[in-house]
Amino acid sequence: MKRVLSFFGAPVVMLARTVRAGLREGVPLRETLAQVHELGGRSVWLVMSGMAFFGAVLVTIANAQAKKLIGNVAVLGPAYFEMLVRELGPAVSALLTAARAGASHSAELSTMSVNEQVEALEMSAGDPYADLVAPRVLAGVVGVPLLSVLGTVAATLSAVVVASLAFDIDGRAFMDARYVDGWDLLVAALKAVGCGLYIPLAAAVAGLKARGGAEAVGEATTAGVVAASLGCLLIDLAVSLAFQFVRL
Amino acid sequence: MSSAGLAWLGRSALGAVEGVGALALVAGRTAWALRRLERRELARGLVQFGYGSLPLALATAALAGVIVVVQAGLYIQRFGARAFLGWASGYGVLWEFGPLLLGLIMSARIGARNAAELATLKVGGQIEGLRGIGLDPFALLVAPRVVAMEVSMLALSTFTFLVAILCEAVAAKLTLNLPLRVFFGTFADMLGPFDIVGGVVKTGAFGLAISLVSTAVGLRAKGGARAVGEAAASAVVLGCAAIFLLDFLLTTLLSRWST
Repeated sequence: MKRVLSFFGAPVVMLARTVRAGLREGVPLRETLAQVHELGGRSVWLVMSGMAFFGAVLVTIANAQAKKLIGNVAVLGPAYFEMLVRELGPAVSALLTAARAGASHSAELSTMSVNEQVEALEMSAGDPYADLVAPRVLAGVVGVPLLSVLGTVAATLSAVVVASLAFDIDGRAFMDARYVDGWDLLVAALKAVGCGLYIPLAAAVAGLKARGGAEAVGEATTAGVVAASLGCLLIDLAVSLAFQFVRL
Repeated sequence: MSSAGLAWLGRSALGAVEGVGALALVAGRTAWALRRLERRELARGLVQFGYGSLPLALATAALAGVIVVVQAGLYIQRFGARAFLGWASGYGVLWEFGPLLLGLIMSARIGARNAAELATLKVGGQIEGLRGIGLDPFALLVAPRVVAMEVSMLALSTFTFLVAILCEAVAAKLTLNLPLRVFFGTFADMLGPFDIVGGVVKTGAFGLAISLVSTAVGLRAKGGARAVGEAAASAVVLGCAAIFLLDFLLTTLLSRWST
């Protein structure tokens, strides 16, 4: 029970402190840009290649399902595209980002706190929340939505190519935006922003708590990645369920 | 295409070859060390990887089940084929989302921990120490982890599938008001044993990939506390990349074989 409470509570407290410190001290612009590059730019290859494979797998599965049900995969295309844009694109891109950015953020922050660099920062009148956490959170809020757009594009293109080449059907059905409306885009954006907010917070909670030697760094990294991935799944589910209940 | 571009190309090609070589070396030496496997370390690994991951795996399974139903419900309502939800979401969870999400979460939990532990030992010079007193680190540290991971993943996959499907049935009842009888009716009629085999094969392959990648990364660490963090982080990234690649290859292979 205590673990469940701290799983949900710690990131909220971290967010409140970060917002307060960021408003009071101001957020360093250069560090924020560096973090956008670190979280966004350096995750691009992982997200895009992962999503390209994922798109190909989705088409293969759609093909197997269509064979039993309807016989023509192209009929399923627009619905699959809607599902990709609304649900799977942001969710799987965010999971991949959580793996990469969650791990590197918590490794970095725990190394800093193990080597007492965080204390050194406080001694020299810096605020760890404003100087370390806030740039990462801003980078997440900007970076994860952009990454999920790129990931969705990569998955769509690879789905189209695989459908056309391997299954000999008109693959353009898998980029037919017939069913996609503004609500789908809103759901996708909410998921991406929520995960982008959560990933750096979970990593910071795990990283700044670390005390000890090299072992503590390893433990903090593990805890950070697990919390970030599980949190992304939960956010994904919460947003999907909320919109499912109001039927939009 | 300047010389900097060429240098980058050469560096990444060298890096790729080096990585594949390291992976092959670890796999080969692990297979060689299987006969002299340390039993106690294996038991510790089984408890830590298998039993210790059970709550996380079951939570992931429940989430995966509900997510698949919520998402499949969207397009199954478009076609007015509510009765087929049992089959469609069972298929989705067995073939794709069960193994994929379990693999990603386990890569985060166990891949990172494995790499961090081995990197801590490596950085502290303890691996050299083992070699110095005539013990084989592969038989002692690597092979037990690989075997324990494989057994744990296969065991966890059955629980994962079971919990995911039960959660799917409940979610279908709650969100789409689909009777449990209808859900399990199409589930039982339209899915065969081969569909379960596909999911188990995928999970097993992911487990092998996670353990090999994370031990290879951990054993290559050099430096201090920074190296440990970097090893843990890159184990997760490479593990995820390997999972998506294997997912694609296995789906293509198995779907060709099944038809």
